[in-house]
Amino acid sequence: MRILLDNFSKSFGATKVIENMTLEVGHGEMLALLGPSGCGKSTTLFAICGIHRPTGGRILFGDRDVTDLPSQARNIGVVFQSYALYPHMTVAENIGFPLKVKGMATADIRKEVDRISGLVHIGNLLGRRPAELSGGQQQRVALARALVRKPDVLLLDEPLANLDAKLRLEMRSEIRRIQRETGITAILVTHDQVEAMSMCDRIAIMKEGEIVQIATPAEMYSDPRTAFVAGFLGNPPITFLRGVMANGVFSIPDSEIRVPLPASVAAAEGAKLMLGVRPEHFTPTGDIAVPGKVMFAETQGRENLYDVRLNGGPLLRSIQPVRHDVNIDDAVTWAIDSRNVLVFDDDGRRL
Amino acid sequence: MKTSRMLGLVMIAPAAIMILLFFLMPVVLTGVFSMTNMTTATGISGGAYQIAPHSLNDLKSAMPEIAEQMSQPRYTIDEVGLKAVEGLGLDPGIATELRAKHMGEVFPSRREVERMIKGLDQRPSTPDVKKISEQFNRSVVNSRFSSKEELFSVLDTLGFTLTDGQKNSVADVTYTGWNWTTENFSRIVSSPDMARVLFNTLLYVALVLVLFNTTYAMLLAIWTHYMPSAPATIFRSIWLLPRITPVVIYVLMWKWLAWDTGFISVLMGKFGYEPKNYMLDNAYNAWVFVVLINGFIGASMGMLVFSSALKAIPKSQFFASEVDGASRWQQIRYIILPQMRWPILFVTCYQTLSLLASFNEILLSTRGGPGKATEVWSLAAYHTALNNYAGNLEYGLGAAMALVLVVIGIVLSLGYLRIFNYGTLVSRPLIED
Repeated sequence: MRILLDNFSKSFGATKVIENMTLEVGHGEMLALLGPSGCGKSTTLFAICGIHRPTGGRILFGDRDVTDLPSQARNIGVVFQSYALYPHMTVAENIGFPLKVKGMATADIRKEVDRISGLVHIGNLLGRRPAELSGGQQQRVALARALVRKPDVLLLDEPLANLDAKLRLEMRSEIRRIQRETGITAILVTHDQVEAMSMCDRIAIMKEGEIVQIATPAEMYSDPRTAFVAGFLGNPPITFLRGVMANGVFSIPDSEIRVPLPASVAAAEGAKLMLGVRPEHFTPTGDIAVPGKVMFAETQGRENLYDVRLNGGPLLRSIQPVRHDVNIDDAVTWAIDSRNVLVFDDDGRRL
Repeated sequence: MKTSRMLGLVMIAPAAIMILLFFLMPVVLTGVFSMTNMTTATGISGGAYQIAPHSLNDLKSAMPEIAEQMSQPRYTIDEVGLKAVEGLGLDPGIATELRAKHMGEVFPSRREVERMIKGLDQRPSTPDVKKISEQFNRSVVNSRFSSKEELFSVLDTLGFTLTDGQKNSVADVTYTGWNWTTENFSRIVSSPDMARVLFNTLLYVALVLVLFNTTYAMLLAIWTHYMPSAPATIFRSIWLLPRITPVVIYVLMWKWLAWDTGFISVLMGKFGYEPKNYMLDNAYNAWVFVVLINGFIGASMGMLVFSSALKAIPKSQFFASEVDGASRWQQIRYIILPQMRWPILFVTCYQTLSLLASFNEILLSTRGGPGKATEVWSLAAYHTALNNYAGNLEYGLGAAMALVLVVIGIVLSLGYLRIFNYGTLVSRPLIED
């Protein structure tokens, strides 16, 4: 089911969290609301749940206006960050709760619980209580409870934040699998760009209550609209060089570094610019050689990560296949791949 | 390690002494008193020996003859009597002759002593015979002796011939002090008054506990939970007022409300009803007031306990149940109440004990009345032992009643500690000392 936030605003008292936001999530799509904490992504999710009432605008599920409907009437499934399982109920009772409050017959509830617990692979845990489950199992129970009544929308609030790294990896693909199998429209709230990129069809990246960009993960990575977006996506993160437009090329004052800009970039002579260089585009094989000194080296097994202080002060990050010939304090001359640099103006807007 | 243990003992000593003096000693003394028949009449120190009419009655069944003899006056010719005869202003020869011939003789009845007097050489006139014989009347009835020995020697000089066993029986029935006895407990078990008081107590505890201390407290907690926080705080504070108002003033306000020139009477007067004391008008009203007065005080504690337990339920569970489609009632029924099991049990246990022991509100409001309609166990014990109209305070019986309460309290406490698994709370710490 399609979800539409139309001119949605939310404020708490005098604090405006979200102003005039418009967001559409297509039927069967999984969309990530990605942003740093305090950006309003959870507030948006809670407004879609009905836990918070919007102070302005409309929320539509399909063609149904649910703006003024209470949570109970919205037919949504929510997985909370803490899972919010009911500690006094068994797993089966937890999963069956949304059906029980609807007044469904016990036998039917049993059947539905069996079906959904098979889907999330917890059929053998139905008799346990939440306290007797591991984090990953609790997560699956929460997911099953959210899905059991076949909701129109599945909302996930930082669902992986409380899991350890290995389980996080596992549940990432599990949640995506279950979302695909059920074909449900889903919104994932997260501050982790890896989660957002790996699980979702599209990402809406938020900052200070506004959506900065909506795009598919690949588009957003290669074509960020602002320096904030470029900085938020990618691990290890992008590095920025500050300089000016001089004689048609990017140059850093008081240094030898000159980087020709793509033809599409239109900037006035003398304009202040930011050049975003992703670590994979600062390697020995680029076209603009820049000398520097290795300040920091970290091996990640398959790859090595280096921080290089350029002559003149700025720092660039490089990621390369493992090599053993470069150590801290070594002088290196690696090269920027000028075709893949991202150019931003002084305010962080992409040029 | 040793010194730290020693230091611990030293540190705790003052508290231990306090506990011993102010908690353990009263219990022990209650136990001691409960095994006696102490009353105002016996006093709490030792008593004297008094041959009272009722003690002779008691003797009748065992020693009818001796009892009969003791109830009759005896006539002994002794120095005191002779002095008195001399003072009567009769012929002095009479006294002289009596002293010479009959000194120390005992006559079991008036007839016999008068026959002797009539037989004197100095024969007095008939009215004088009566006067003279009266001077030798040495009745033991209503005479008081400070010790057994004194009692026995007087009985001897009066010519009663008693075996040692008989003497002791006489001493027992004439003793006015207290004795060791278990009679208090058999009285408690057999007395219909006690059964009535017991019933009152159970009714009182059950009504206040069920209606107010748990149910109403839970309603208050849930109401305030769903209120915005500012009005909720105000609402809670209002319900704390009965608890923090001095109890005398609090109960006095209820009395003002209920008595015949009070609010209810004035209000009902507008509708043509005669003014009356609504609280003490009948047993039913008295019970309503007793339950309300105690309930309003008791509700606040449950409210606080339940409110904090409610706050301890993570907010996300309420959110989750809402998006799961639960109505507010279903939220209360399936999410809140099942998680309130322990707080409810705790409040029930705690309040049962305090209700069993508390009687001050009832004492101040109805005094157990009308009649004894609202007399509960602790109040009855207080009335028996410390304050009643008749004025004969039965310390022994009152102590026995209090002891029953103490035993019930200890048994219940031990039971509760078991339920709450107190052992795990005070189990040895994992960090070694």
